[in-house]
Amino acid sequence: MQRAAEPRPRPAIGLPRIYVAGAISVLCGLMLWEIASRLVVANALFLAAPSQIFAAIVTLAESGELWRHMSISAVEFALGYAIASLLGVVIGFAMAESPTMKRVLQPWISGLYATPTIALAPLFILWLGIGIWSKVLVVIFLVLFPVTINTEAGLRTTSERLIEMLRSFGASPRQIFFKVSLPSAVPFILAGLKLGIGRGLIGVVVAELFGSRAGLGRLIAQSADSFNMPDLFAGVIVLAAAGITLTAGFGWLENRLVPWTKD
Amino acid sequence: MAQKLQISHLGKSFGELRALQDINLAVERGEFIAVVGPSGCGKTTFLRIVAGLEPASAGEVRLDGRAISGPGGDRGFVFQTDNLLPWRTVFANAIIGREVAGQVGPAERQRTLELLRLVGLEGFENYHPRQLSGGMRQRVNLARALAIDPQILLMDEPFSSLDAQTREIMQTELMRIWEAGRKTVLFVTHQIDEAVFLADRVLVFARRPGRLRESVAVELPRPRTLAIKRTAEFIRYVDHIWRLIEDDVRASVIEEKV
Repeated sequence: MQRAAEPRPRPAIGLPRIYVAGAISVLCGLMLWEIASRLVVANALFLAAPSQIFAAIVTLAESGELWRHMSISAVEFALGYAIASLLGVVIGFAMAESPTMKRVLQPWISGLYATPTIALAPLFILWLGIGIWSKVLVVIFLVLFPVTINTEAGLRTTSERLIEMLRSFGASPRQIFFKVSLPSAVPFILAGLKLGIGRGLIGVVVAELFGSRAGLGRLIAQSADSFNMPDLFAGVIVLAAAGITLTAGFGWLENRLVPWTKD
Repeated sequence: MAQKLQISHLGKSFGELRALQDINLAVERGEFIAVVGPSGCGKTTFLRIVAGLEPASAGEVRLDGRAISGPGGDRGFVFQTDNLLPWRTVFANAIIGREVAGQVGPAERQRTLELLRLVGLEGFENYHPRQLSGGMRQRVNLARALAIDPQILLMDEPFSSLDAQTREIMQTELMRIWEAGRKTVLFVTHQIDEAVFLADRVLVFARRPGRLRESVAVELPRPRTLAIKRTAEFIRYVDHIWRLIEDDVRASVIEEKV
């Protein structure tokens, strides 16, 4: 009696229009920028035109400089982000499961989340040296807290009604955790991870500004020191592109993993 | 005939508040019992105690002669809100009770598919709850409770969130499904006509403290159709029950306003 499952209706209408509007908005912005930097500012020391920035990116890419900086920053970000995500989810679980853990950890989490830990970057460099690990530590500090807080909140706010439904069938606490609490926390965990992307990228660059041998932050600092505006903006644009790409990739992942939170 | 459910001297207090007092009841196998009463009469608490979701303060509940002490697979609970897991398909939601019991073999899967067909959801097995209407979600709720093949079905105002037309359809659907299996049912509702239409016996609860005021045997012929709601006999039952609870309902309405 199995009938083939009908394809799930997906809201496809309207999406292209959103992209078109976004693209037009960005193009207009770039044009205004180009005009302003050529005609209004007209001084390469203060502002670079988009065309100059694009040329700088191409030059940097051809010389291999761009890849060197990008790969270092990418490794720092990836290591810090992965460690922070793992730790954040584990600590969040511990806090949701054990009231004692929550009481012990909560002041630290709240305190450190609100503190601009990025200001500690020079200290980390002092401890761990000028290499990648000081930057990894900064990323961990910035990504860990939103992930922890969201994981804990997600597990804690599991619907009582859903838990009761499962309990009516005689489910054990373990079954309730895996069949209800965990899946309903996934959207929260993903939101925390998404928040971590922006914070992590900022962390990498700012930590590199304080002292590093290579990385996009280094590229930006170097260019600023030599008043090379096109290279400076090239670094910023590459970072922005990375942020947009990672966040968009996350949005796609959310659509796949937690479709019930959309609509 | 063997008694399915036996309740003796059941009482429940929440601190100072006495929610239920000295409830005594014997339910026979295959009997459809409806419970009506004003809000605050403890009818939902009563059902939750039978389900094992809430401990009793006094007395005991016996199902097939065994005292119940907690939730179990011998009772299927149909909730007021559908409580479906949004990340699971209709089928995966319906079979969750079996999954909890560790029984998801081919026989149970087949039985769950048959139940989904019985409640009118054939072809929707792979849909997600958000793609279903309120009435369809309540059908899944019912199929989920039936899927564990319970000794007794406990239903807590399952149609109260539906619009009037859908509710009437669901009442006849429930009758059809019940006639197919003749499970023992405890059905809590605040709608008197729903209770009379569905039940063999309507238990009328009173409030402050919640207690059993009267048990009204409904001797209307089965199978019943919606047309029966317009017969004089049906209306006599409704009137009789309404008179039993009228004062209580007025009191509870005034209290809620204050």
